[in-house]
Amino acid sequence: MAEQRTASGPIGARIRRTEDPRLLAGQARYLDDIRLPGMLEGAVLRSPYPHARILRIDVSRARELPGVFDVITGAEVRELAAPQPVIWQQIPDQRMPESYALPTDRVRYVGEAVVAVAAVDRYVAEDALELIDIEYEPLPVAATLDEALAEDAPRLYDQWPDNKMGQHTFTRGNVDEAFTQADVVLRETLYYGRQMGLPLETRGCIASWDTYTNQLDLWLSTQGAHVNRDLMGEALRKPVHEIRVRVPDVGGGFGNKLDFYIEEVLASLMSRRTGRPVKIIEDRVESFVANAHSREQRMEVELAATSDGVITGIRGTVWAVLGGRLSGAACGPPWLSAAVMAGPYKVPNVDVSVVGVFTNRSPIGSYRGWGQPEATLVYERLVELLARKLGLDRNEVRRKNFPAPEEFPFPSTVFTYDSGRYAECLDLCLSGVEKNGWKERQAAARAEGRSVGIGYGFHVECTAFGPSRVLNAVGVQHSGFGQSVVRIDSTGRVTVYTGEVPMGQGIQTALAQVCAQSLGVPIEDVTVIAGDTDSCPYMGYGTGGSRAAALGGGAIIRAAEKLKKQIRDIGAHLLETAPEDLVIENGRVAVSGAPARSVSMAEIGNAAYRSVGKLPAGQTPTLEEREVMDPEDLAWAYGCTAVLVEVDRETGAVKVLDHLIAHDCGTVINPMIVEGQIHGGVAQSIGGALLEELVYGEDGQIQTTTFMDYLVPTATDMPPMQALHMETPAVHIPGGIKGVGEAGTIAVPAAIANAVDDALDDLDVTVTAIPITPPRLLAKIRAAQEQQS
Amino acid sequence: MKPASVEYHKATSIADAVDVLSSTEDEDAKVLAGGQSLVPMLSMRLARPSVLVDINGLTDLDYIRRDGDWLSIGALTRSRAVEKSAAVRDAAPLLSEAMGFVGHATIRNRGTIGGSVAHADPAAEAPAVLCALDAELVITGPAGARTVGANDFFHGFLTTAVGPDEMLTEIRVPVLPAGTGCAVEELARRHGDFAMVAVFAAVTVGDDGRCTDARLALAGTNPTPVRAREAEAVLVGSGLTAETIAQAAQAAAGVTNSANDIHAPAEYRRDMASVLTRRALRRAASDANVVV
Repeated sequence: MAEQRTASGPIGARIRRTEDPRLLAGQARYLDDIRLPGMLEGAVLRSPYPHARILRIDVSRARELPGVFDVITGAEVRELAAPQPVIWQQIPDQRMPESYALPTDRVRYVGEAVVAVAAVDRYVAEDALELIDIEYEPLPVAATLDEALAEDAPRLYDQWPDNKMGQHTFTRGNVDEAFTQADVVLRETLYYGRQMGLPLETRGCIASWDTYTNQLDLWLSTQGAHVNRDLMGEALRKPVHEIRVRVPDVGGGFGNKLDFYIEEVLASLMSRRTGRPVKIIEDRVESFVANAHSREQRMEVELAATSDGVITGIRGTVWAVLGGRLSGAACGPPWLSAAVMAGPYKVPNVDVSVVGVFTNRSPIGSYRGWGQPEATLVYERLVELLARKLGLDRNEVRRKNFPAPEEFPFPSTVFTYDSGRYAECLDLCLSGVEKNGWKERQAAARAEGRSVGIGYGFHVECTAFGPSRVLNAVGVQHSGFGQSVVRIDSTGRVTVYTGEVPMGQGIQTALAQVCAQSLGVPIEDVTVIAGDTDSCPYMGYGTGGSRAAALGGGAIIRAAEKLKKQIRDIGAHLLETAPEDLVIENGRVAVSGAPARSVSMAEIGNAAYRSVGKLPAGQTPTLEEREVMDPEDLAWAYGCTAVLVEVDRETGAVKVLDHLIAHDCGTVINPMIVEGQIHGGVAQSIGGALLEELVYGEDGQIQTTTFMDYLVPTATDMPPMQALHMETPAVHIPGGIKGVGEAGTIAVPAAIANAVDDALDDLDVTVTAIPITPPRLLAKIRAAQEQQS
Repeated sequence: MKPASVEYHKATSIADAVDVLSSTEDEDAKVLAGGQSLVPMLSMRLARPSVLVDINGLTDLDYIRRDGDWLSIGALTRSRAVEKSAAVRDAAPLLSEAMGFVGHATIRNRGTIGGSVAHADPAAEAPAVLCALDAELVITGPAGARTVGANDFFHGFLTTAVGPDEMLTEIRVPVLPAGTGCAVEELARRHGDFAMVAVFAAVTVGDDGRCTDARLALAGTNPTPVRAREAEAVLVGSGLTAETIAQAAQAAAGVTNSANDIHAPAEYRRDMASVLTRRALRRAASDANVVV
């Protein structure tokens, strides 16, 4: 598949994921596999109205149903809990509606939770939901962005004069002058549809509140154990030492399992009230309204350039279609769209705003890519449209606007990119396209009358999220550092305790590789423990923002360095030599140049814990180091995606025939895992580009609540995929590791849009909306054909 | 997504099943065959029968037989068995091809042809292809069996000629005459999805190269599967030229009557009926050895 690299140690080796055998054999333990004695199962009654006043809630009949243990309403939640925390507060003076886990007086989207029930099982719980009587007074609906922005729009929050949640503007240079002096100005309005991450395992929680000790045990299907413990403490007004969060195997988390939700609060409160553990698992239908939605934004943008293709300015507005309340991520992803709107290019003059707008839709939250696929759609469409307008080669225009490697660290509009060789990455992608014969395939197809096109998308990816001071500076109400503990036990085996959370991405294998390499032990001797706030060290944020390899790995590298000093000291004492004469390799500590004079890691461990008399004087027993990884700045990965697509001009259907990405995530720990991340990301973004859309009717009712309506890609929609690796070390991360979790996801929609335009180049079609559905594209084709005739 | 409580009855014979169906108050008993549509509807509480009559034990409803000029298929025959049957391929290759578009192999392994027909989703393949084939559907009730032509069987969206105390027991398909070419063209968002539009075409060509019989049925375009009779009339007696095929395609678009939905506006489906009819007829003609 990818270029073969040779690795001398575990880092860079194509090692099979140690997680996989049990996952593949059905031996994983997901949240629903956990059954505690006396456990109840919960269900949530959700609003059928997009906007309504709650006049009366009568739960008496539900309470009387045999098997029902608790029914909780908004009024009761208000007495027991605080408003739901919102950690993303990066928009200056952003409006912060005070939202509790359940509302008392008003619902603002279809699917908003109104009442929760705990019963002997989910069947009875759902029966009880049918016995709850709620009287609503429907209110006028702001179902779309335009309706919410209209002069006479129904207001979602009476305390504010309009539906705007806030605005943030990023400026640089003199954008007015740039546009006045520009040889060429492009204007586009691009729409990115509402989509969401859909983990195969839906969200779920178990809460067990011991009313004698006040200890709350939580099992969450989450990406962030510690952050959720802290937020739970805030929501329940409970000191966090009384809360333990454990994370069982997670069946996928695509960002939306990082956000903090209401169900875990409700389960905790009902457990407290009933004295029994309460499990709430979101079912698939609920997941389409209760799990964070993402992406939806309208982007009105203008680009100024010289006649030879040098970009001189970008200005515009990202209209973020938020929902009826704020998720923990608030307006974060659209904010990032605006912040990285210049992408990989040197744009001296910028004036880009993000405006968050409340609508009667489900809340917007996190989803793999987090604003970056949307921004990439803008800058990668504009760069190709500029080339088209000027009659220049599109990749020459890209190349012309890249910062050179020596210009790094490169200050972009908001963030500083640490390292990169962008032109080289573009060349690697183009050579892959050349080698795979895409141009010949395109020519041959065209000779048969088929419409085949090639499209590119060059992206930058914010990874190693994130440095606490950077997070705090941009308004995140939480830290972001990573932390790991590395322990060698009395038998010389190594256990890593990390704050990072596995969710199927293979992080246990990757971190074991980093640890094995750093310590000089076989990878089989390393165990990685994660997902427990009692045994694992505190970590900021959560495992999102493509961070686990960089921050988890970086912390391990540093802890291992400190541990190696202790190992050498003990080894030197045992071997009667000097510590600097020792090498640690393959689990043995040996005198350099005299491998026969060595001790095993087991002997070192034994000395450290049991035969303490063998330790050098002054050496403290045990072998353990803890390291916090809070880097000075982020690590910016990047890549160039190419796709080959075919368009059916009669139906508007698009098929992706082939895919290729050249990318750079710094040091590659395990090419197989990197490729797996890319494959999954590509599948999601092909779905995003062509199939997936959460559709709301004019009445504000959601129309996509099953997999028959919300279409995710299947095997038949997937092209062959290829990844070509480059390795430019991260500047601020030990080991040079950057993240790769979102690399496959970010640029594919832009590349497909560009490829569709290319397939239809004789018609001068410009794709402006994602997903590119057959009816949407056919309308464009027909309009272009009419224009021509 | 947990069903409301429901009484379960495992039928021991067709008579026993009919007996339960006809004795249930409110006439709300439901027949459970492959469960590919009914079980999700139960789980979402969109269907709330008081009794489920499970006919999976009635193996005497699971058969494919050739009786002279007729092919008889028991209602409980799994879609995959129909798809793979040599007898079906020989007698009605259009049916074999159509079954390949029903969901995915795992769905076809469990779902039954009778269940799909009785469920009557207008975008499903089985109802439409049986209309194209002029199949006959045998319905059994307290008064015994009766036969209804496929083109009279579908009354509306998810409604059929089967009464609340009756069940579909057999599908009878007339064997296609020699010189018949078949083709199915389906446009779905993904392979295995219900059709946005599907066209089922069979054209019979005489020794002189003229079309002697044409059947065209559409799925996904109307509240029930429909025959494009006007389009068929254009073809019969013609030489299956590019022009007549284009004319027939135009006529086929005229029968569509769909609402806008999340996957496509009505006019898109109408246009696609024409595009797919043209593609299906060209392939069917070629299958009948006519060079268009």
